[in-house]
Amino acid sequence: MVLVDIRETKSVKASDIFLQIRPGKDFEVITILRALVKEQPVDESQVQETGLTLEQLQDFVDRMKKAKFGVFFFGMGLSMTRGKHMNSAALLTLAAELNAFTKFVAMPMRGHGNVTGADVIMRWQTGYPFAIQFGRGYPRYNPGEFSTVDLLVRGDVDAALILGADPGATMPQPAIDHLARIPTICLDPKVTHTSRLSRVHITTAATGISAPGTGYRMDEVPLPLRPALKSPYPTDEQVVRRIHEAVLKKPDWLQQGNRMALNQV
Amino acid sequence: MSQVTLRLKQTPDVPLEAENITPDVLSDLPHDEIRALKLQLGKRTFRIDEFFEVEGERSDQVELHGDLKRVKWLGRGMTRGRLVVHGDTGMHLGALMKGGEIDVHGSAGDWVGAEMKGGLIHVRGDAGGQVGAAYRGATVGMKNGTILIDGCAGLETGMRMKKGTIVVGGVVKDFGGLQMKGGNIVMLSGAEIRTGAWMVRGTIISMLPLKLLPTFRYSCDYNPGFLTLFARQLNRLGVSLPVSAAAGVYQLFSGDCSVPGKGEILVWQPH
Amino acid sequence: MLRITGGKVYDPLHGIDGQIRDICIHDGKVVDSVDGGRTIDASGMVVFPGGVDVHTHVAGGSINFARAMTPEDHRRTVAFIRSQTTRSGLGGMAPTTFATGYLYAGMGWTTVNEAAVPILSAKHTHEELRDVPIVDKSCCVLMANNEILLDLLEQGEMERARHLVAWQIWAAKAYGVKAVNPGGVAAWKWGNDAKQMAETVPGYTSLTPAKIVTGLAQIIDELGLPHPIHLHCNNLGAPGNISTTLETMKSLDGRRAHMAHLQYHSYGGDDWSTMRSEAPAMAEYFNQQKNLTCDAGAVLFGDTVTITADGPWQHLLYKLTGRKWGNLDVENETGCGIVPYTYRPSNLVNAVQWAVGLELLLLIDDPWRIFLTTDHPNGACFWRYPEIIQLLMCRDFRQECVTQLSEKARERVHLPDIDREYSRFEIAIITSAGPAKALGMPNKGHLGAGADADVVVYDEDEDIARMFGHPRYVIKGGEIVIEEGDIRATPEGREFLVQPSFDREIEDFLRPLFEETYTMSFENYPVEMHRIERPEISECIDVST
Repeated sequence: MVLVDIRETKSVKASDIFLQIRPGKDFEVITILRALVKEQPVDESQVQETGLTLEQLQDFVDRMKKAKFGVFFFGMGLSMTRGKHMNSAALLTLAAELNAFTKFVAMPMRGHGNVTGADVIMRWQTGYPFAIQFGRGYPRYNPGEFSTVDLLVRGDVDAALILGADPGATMPQPAIDHLARIPTICLDPKVTHTSRLSRVHITTAATGISAPGTGYRMDEVPLPLRPALKSPYPTDEQVVRRIHEAVLKKPDWLQQGNRMALNQV
Repeated sequence: MSQVTLRLKQTPDVPLEAENITPDVLSDLPHDEIRALKLQLGKRTFRIDEFFEVEGERSDQVELHGDLKRVKWLGRGMTRGRLVVHGDTGMHLGALMKGGEIDVHGSAGDWVGAEMKGGLIHVRGDAGGQVGAAYRGATVGMKNGTILIDGCAGLETGMRMKKGTIVVGGVVKDFGGLQMKGGNIVMLSGAEIRTGAWMVRGTIISMLPLKLLPTFRYSCDYNPGFLTLFARQLNRLGVSLPVSAAAGVYQLFSGDCSVPGKGEILVWQPH
Repeated sequence: MLRITGGKVYDPLHGIDGQIRDICIHDGKVVDSVDGGRTIDASGMVVFPGGVDVHTHVAGGSINFARAMTPEDHRRTVAFIRSQTTRSGLGGMAPTTFATGYLYAGMGWTTVNEAAVPILSAKHTHEELRDVPIVDKSCCVLMANNEILLDLLEQGEMERARHLVAWQIWAAKAYGVKAVNPGGVAAWKWGNDAKQMAETVPGYTSLTPAKIVTGLAQIIDELGLPHPIHLHCNNLGAPGNISTTLETMKSLDGRRAHMAHLQYHSYGGDDWSTMRSEAPAMAEYFNQQKNLTCDAGAVLFGDTVTITADGPWQHLLYKLTGRKWGNLDVENETGCGIVPYTYRPSNLVNAVQWAVGLELLLLIDDPWRIFLTTDHPNGACFWRYPEIIQLLMCRDFRQECVTQLSEKARERVHLPDIDREYSRFEIAIITSAGPAKALGMPNKGHLGAGADADVVVYDEDEDIARMFGHPRYVIKGGEIVIEEGDIRATPEGREFLVQPSFDREIEDFLRPLFEETYTMSFENYPVEMHRIERPEISECIDVST
């Protein structure tokens, strides 16, 4: 096991090789690896700025090529630091390219909660994993434009329904400020940073503890969640269904009859 | 000369989508029909005159006034005429445009000229990210045309562009020319980091030294012939590019070797 | 109650070939007569049984991966706007679930068979199938690369293997068994493939693809599944692979089998530059093998996304196209690869593929044994079926399309020499009656009393693609779902399952192996019944040859 991190963590003990890189150099390191995999030259003087030597990286490449079945696990240290999605894209591309030599895969270690499940279901219902806009009556997708954090930071929404997440604890301050400014409804079994700043907090049964459901593992394998306890509170699903029923009774704003958009905006 | 003038009455609370505000649409319509054109606000549609004071009719010369930061898709897919904006604009300004001219006296949001095929966009202030870029998942960004940004430009400027020119007066943020396939990006005040990452072909010209990825290689110093021609072209747009060998030289870097690509980054080195 | 009067009826199972008949419907079934209710005057119109798709990929991990990979296609495609009765969605290369139901029903297809479901993620597939409205559904569970099963086959433990197969079918809540590249996907986990029927699968001592195929076919016949083994042969898409396919067919030795997307398995030549159509040789052999059915897996020119459990093939395609590539491995069971692809008439290989699909449809003489599919989305999207119907029914149109091909391509194919034109009667067979029979669904694919009231009414139209693309009425389970191009109702479809009998003791064998090699607990492995929307368990049958 090769561990790549910016500092020594507890995982170092479990690893055979630890590569300590300088913060913010993930994209550079992976791009160098991509070049080395293809036996392309790289500028040695600049390699050192990553905190690693060319020998270390070349050795890493040789080991990867020799592996029978390799896997990259990556987490938010990669996807949430400078470069963001491009850091992830770099690693996925490296994994794809290594398949010219051996079997290699990459797998994201997702955040807390059923992130993968949300992603999977949004994909089958809308075609897109997240950052989806329904304003025109059909799904549209554009991370950066329609992603939650960006909408909140720009103040582009006038209401929010928060489910299975605690953005009040994790998002940047301008986003949190906007959540506090607008009518925010929060469904959560417990009191959270978000529930405290919400206009309405509906206490729900905890899925997997007192409510049934399905969780998707990070490799997208679904697992049944069986409740061990009973809860006096309704499940998330029951609450959302009741809100939906109430909304359906309101006059519809969509034109009747026009059910297909041939040209999307 | 006749023109259509739209003045924003008040800034909307949430983004307003205005793909109908293009010279192509307005040039054929009488005043009443322009007033009745649809805008999308959140989940509802509104008439243009609910948000704008409308003057004039049947003209492909369009002028907009007001703080349009939340107004998206201005000039979407336009093919002709002129759109002048006095104020800031929102996202997707001139996206997918094929011809004509957009002139913004202010700043613009993300996705200026995204996937455009022709025409000229001039933003006198700053621009957001993804100028002239490909939308997510698409393999090709702008295919032709010119984008001038007087101020700074955001992330992923010129991402996957294939042809055409982008000139940025201020600093370009990370990933300028990301996965570029052709065309030119001129950076008059240099860039932050990861310029030209994964570029396949195309040319990036910087007036200031750049922090390049280790997968770019210094090739040589030179003053290529095509630059003289290109500089003359840019001159007509009010951009001056030094080409005199007496004044300095361009350092040529090639890459990105990780692809491996045959892109060129030219960095001006004054004597 | 509903009566459709005056229409020209095509009901191949009952030999009705365009005669004027009334179709009466009561309680979701076709009946001999009704009193009262609505009457649809179908004078001058054409009446078909609802279409049945024997092989498609509309739900589950792989198509859902394809959706994530192609936002650029979603943006350019037809969008379904939410209304009081319909959900929003997107069409295109990998349509969203709701749109899938609307698009299938919108062209008169009312039953679909999802062809590839790993047990481990079967819960996911069934959840997606629940969100595919209107049409009835069934699915085939992937088996030929399941390592526990392969071990049993290698050891010759056929009895235990049979119990395991039955247990697994029920665990997946499946209707049939799909074998994909037997042995090859398991080998791909180690970056290898299994290309020769008689060669040992990498990682095994004596097991060959041929043994896997015959073993599974035998077990499925013994269990009496209504649908025989659903077989995706080894060596898909490769020049010269007809030899592998013929060898596979021979190894079946008279056992029942459905050969999936035969187009991809009927090539001659030694490499990409010499690839040619072997459709005539394939058809000639196939015509003699009455134990076999097949579907075309036809290719149409244009953009699509290819998804298959055939991982090694997809990696090759990624290297050929240099475009996007996604790969999923499903623990010890199977895997899949995803590559967006554009079929071009100017490309020699694509031209041969396009021709082979049509040639098989035209040269296989019994329409009851070859069915219309594109292996959606691999050869083309399912919503393009009407274009294929036009190619089959109209020789002149076909010849016009042939002129798009290069001179070189035309020398490699046989399409220019084929004059056959399909009749409407034959179209009704390859789109409905035939696949329903092959799936073993006695209430589908015909309009006799007792049949499910899935009926399509078309306006007669000289433009065949338009006619079959835009039915005037579509009736599903007795309810009018499409009327004059508008979606009128979106009832939930049923799901067909089989429950072959097995000895409970098989769980004692399986549990320790499972707990040793899998990453979930044994109790969580089978799909619970409550996850199935409107299940309908079909009877197993006696298959004695």
